[in-house]
Amino acid sequence: MRTVSWIAVRVATCAATLTVLSFVVFWATEVLPGDAVGVVSGPDATDAEREAVRVALGLDRPPLERYGVWVAGLVRGDLGVSLVSGREVAVIVVARLGASLAVLVPAAVGIVILAGVLGTIAGMRAGGRLDRILSGVTLGLIGTPDFLIATVLLVVFAVWLPILPAVAIVPAGQSLWQHPELIALPALALALGGFGSTMRLLRASVAQTVATPFAEFARLNGIRGPAYVRTIVANAAPPAVHAFTVMIAGLLGGGIVVETLFNVPGLGYELTRAVENRDVPLVQGLALVLGAVVLTILLAGDIITRVLQQRTRRQEHS
Amino acid sequence: MVSSRKRGLAAIVAAAAMLTVAGCTAAPQGESSPEGGGTLRAAFAGGSTETLNYFQGPTALDYVRARLVHAPLCELDPGASDGVAYGVVESIDVSDDLSEYTLHVRDGVSFTDGAALTSADVLYSLRAPVLLEGLPFTMLVARNFDLDAATTPDASTVVLPTAAPIADGRELICQSMLAIQDGTTEFAPDTPSSGPFTIAAFEQGQSTLLERNPDYYGQAPSLEAIELVSIPDGTARVNALRQGQVDYISGITPAQAQTLDGADGLAVSTSEPPYVSYMPFTMNTATAPFDDPRVREAFKLAIDRQRIIDNVYYGLASLGNDLPALGFASYDASIPQREHDPDEARRLLEEAGAAGMSVELTAGPELPGMVETATLIVEDLQAVGVNATLRELPAGQLFADYPAWLALPFKVGYNPPALFEPNHTPGTFPEVDALVQTARSAATPEERLTASHEAQRLLWEEGYELAPVFVPNISAARDGVTGVRELQFPDLSQVVLTD
Amino acid sequence: MTARQWVAAVPATLVLLLALTGPWLVGGSTSTPVGGPFQPPESGIPLGTDVLGRDVLARVLAGGRTLVLQAAAATVLGSVIGMCVGVWAGMTHHARTSGAVLRVVDGIAAVPALLLLLLLAAGLPGNDTVVAVAIAAVSVPFSVRVIRERTHTLATTDYARDAEARGEPWTARVRFDILPGLIPAALAEAGIRFVAATQLAATAGFLGLGAGAPAANWGRMVRENSTGLQTNALPVLVPAVLLVALAIGVTALLDRAAETRVGGLGPIGRLA
Repeated sequence: MRTVSWIAVRVATCAATLTVLSFVVFWATEVLPGDAVGVVSGPDATDAEREAVRVALGLDRPPLERYGVWVAGLVRGDLGVSLVSGREVAVIVVARLGASLAVLVPAAVGIVILAGVLGTIAGMRAGGRLDRILSGVTLGLIGTPDFLIATVLLVVFAVWLPILPAVAIVPAGQSLWQHPELIALPALALALGGFGSTMRLLRASVAQTVATPFAEFARLNGIRGPAYVRTIVANAAPPAVHAFTVMIAGLLGGGIVVETLFNVPGLGYELTRAVENRDVPLVQGLALVLGAVVLTILLAGDIITRVLQQRTRRQEHS
Repeated sequence: MVSSRKRGLAAIVAAAAMLTVAGCTAAPQGESSPEGGGTLRAAFAGGSTETLNYFQGPTALDYVRARLVHAPLCELDPGASDGVAYGVVESIDVSDDLSEYTLHVRDGVSFTDGAALTSADVLYSLRAPVLLEGLPFTMLVARNFDLDAATTPDASTVVLPTAAPIADGRELICQSMLAIQDGTTEFAPDTPSSGPFTIAAFEQGQSTLLERNPDYYGQAPSLEAIELVSIPDGTARVNALRQGQVDYISGITPAQAQTLDGADGLAVSTSEPPYVSYMPFTMNTATAPFDDPRVREAFKLAIDRQRIIDNVYYGLASLGNDLPALGFASYDASIPQREHDPDEARRLLEEAGAAGMSVELTAGPELPGMVETATLIVEDLQAVGVNATLRELPAGQLFADYPAWLALPFKVGYNPPALFEPNHTPGTFPEVDALVQTARSAATPEERLTASHEAQRLLWEEGYELAPVFVPNISAARDGVTGVRELQFPDLSQVVLTD
Repeated sequence: MTARQWVAAVPATLVLLLALTGPWLVGGSTSTPVGGPFQPPESGIPLGTDVLGRDVLARVLAGGRTLVLQAAAATVLGSVIGMCVGVWAGMTHHARTSGAVLRVVDGIAAVPALLLLLLLAAGLPGNDTVVAVAIAAVSVPFSVRVIRERTHTLATTDYARDAEARGEPWTARVRFDILPGLIPAALAEAGIRFVAATQLAATAGFLGLGAGAPAANWGRMVRENSTGLQTNALPVLVPAVLLVALAIGVTALLDRAAETRVGGLGPIGRLA
């Protein structure tokens, strides 16, 4: 029951955070030099034409009024229209989020499985051969920036060994989900980039837990096999779960390099373009959705950690 | 979707039936030249801002697609006698006093809904940029003609009075006007159109599937279908071509072109003048020391243009002579090419008391090679003793803050291929402004050309624009793709695919 | 330090040294072309030329310092803030205040890192300091969460609770009960942050944020020259290898440092 009210409070804070975020983002985009009028008009427009564009886009109204209109629309579930393309922001955002998730979800699942299994094994036998090999591999992966991993994958799979498509080209009327072969490379690039840090944190945490008197006590009490592994992992997991959720949250908006190089029309790429174009409603919409998803992921991480901790605490008291 | 598939199928059958009839060159109107067929997959930068409403389409892909779906009224053709090639407008007459243009609409052109294309449609097409709040670059006709006073005396004639007498009205009308149906306000895949292709499927920022329009009035395309793919990143476009995911890519950088050129089974092509972008480095005459013509001259002489062409463009750019509109009929090719003369530049700066002056050049990645060219210009200026620095703005920022851009002392900009006279910005040199006025409105072609050349010579001597190169659009295709016309935007309607 | 630790320290130290002193070692200009684009190495240009025909060696030498300084500044700034806030939040009994602080930190985490970089880069174009501050701001929530989590675990051990019950002062508890167990995690965290900061700085360069052309920057070099891979791969390979070597070197070094501390680790984990 306490957990439920705790979650309710957290959800309410998330909503408040998003409100603040939307204002900050609006204001920050507003003070940037230039506006969508300049972008849309191009260099050859006359002053009168510029003014017409300004009125057509509604940018002649004061910023606060525009923000008010945007918030009023938001309450009705309307994110407004893009200044540059005139399309519904909600439609764009949903499509971009879908593409980002299509790549991120497989990558996250891959990271959880790989990092979970390998991190536990390596941590339980810290110093062993597998631990040393994994340590070297993850070191290399952590040390390689996303754009290098992506470039290497492109050179390998597009030039030397063309078995997977290098660029995600989705036929009109279909979505990325329907094409696993297009998702493979970008998801692999994201997974390789994110796998290392999560695995190492879990490994370190598991190794530390194994070395504690608590673990020894468990062993002495005859807890063996899967039960022992469960006990250790439950105790060691919280920091790794945090690291994982934070990293996944970062990948959602930060996968821009991978999205660009593999032509995945995701959130990060769209956000870059929206800022370039000073497309305030689109920046707002994207930032809001990104923020909401990030907060949700972090919240999920917190809940999992809390549940894990309560379970171990109950175990400890039983 | 289903009905267009059927229509596509019908087109295949019809094409097969005619296989033995048609020749390979310039088939007569209304008949197919069916060998080849197939689907061309072409990739452009595109992006999620893609729109079927080409009046509001900021990307090249929007116009490329619109040009395939909607037949042009007419097109620029510097080689033709009128300077234009006619489309659904059969000919354009100009009154002797240059104040009225009469457009004759071609017979037998129809929209995909069966309606015949009439003068009302043509007039609506001309007015549409204003009515539908098009982007400023679509306003060329609206700026120069009195569209409210235009009339359609019969179904095949449009009478168009000018705002002030002009001789270059044909070129303005033919710059990028496409025929749309009277009353069109929304652009959807099934909006009636009159071009060589129709839209079978469209997804913003993703891809468009075009199918051959069996009722197209002009030379029937050889292609069965075209898939226009949006790939915003240049490197990703190149990879898609290399891997055979697409047959043709447009808008790549010179360095990418260089590496593709040697690749097996791929060929690079570039647009030729006049279809090259003008990239002027503008010196603001309102700020010292650019108010001194000797300083402007010194800057122009300091630049090693050949090195820019070699190192930035790998020989693919055209040499500029600090004047716009290279390749258009009125371009004065008799003006001597400005050479690289750092010693004279240093002497002029000394003479103007500007030796050791400091200047900041503002540039941004808005055109392939723009920042790189700016880098070399800064180098060249430093070599003649100017304390020059480069300020690179993030993508999109250069023109986003237009008033700020205008006020900068030294900055780069670009203009798509366009005639010199109608696009001249008045206000700095009254003498040039008057000459341009004459060049646009004098009674005889000779007078107009003389005035234009005189204006260009004055600008060459004293002007504030330093234009070392003209930048082409660079494309690449796999072998077996022929017939791409590299105009202001690539025209894919006449592409022939062979394997 | 043991011999193995010294060996582990070699690559990172070499790269750091090269990055920091490089700009002083540049003989000629980093921005004047010395030949055609992507020329292979020859005498005078040991690494060949880049996309504009500039000397790759000079640009490699000049292109590391900003990056390393950005990453280092961001890491120090981020870690210090992360440690202070994290330790405080993990130990305090003012649940409401610490909860509020954590919500603020979460709020910062909810601002997409990229958006922050983009907005700052657009607002103050070509500014390297801005990139460093943005990277620090982005890394703080990460640090705070990890440190708080670890601190909380340590502070709830019987060992620490006993100390608290004995009425030992706050500072002493931090010093004797928390820090020994926290330092490996904090070091590992700082190491990860530094590597991440290097990569963000390189990515910022790769995306063309931070100081613009003609400034040399290892990340920017990878992007600029990737088209010439087949003609002269060195302008891509050399900065890439340096970036990787730096990141791996630092991580390995911190790993070793953390391992030696593990031996002296205080009691952690929850005893039944």
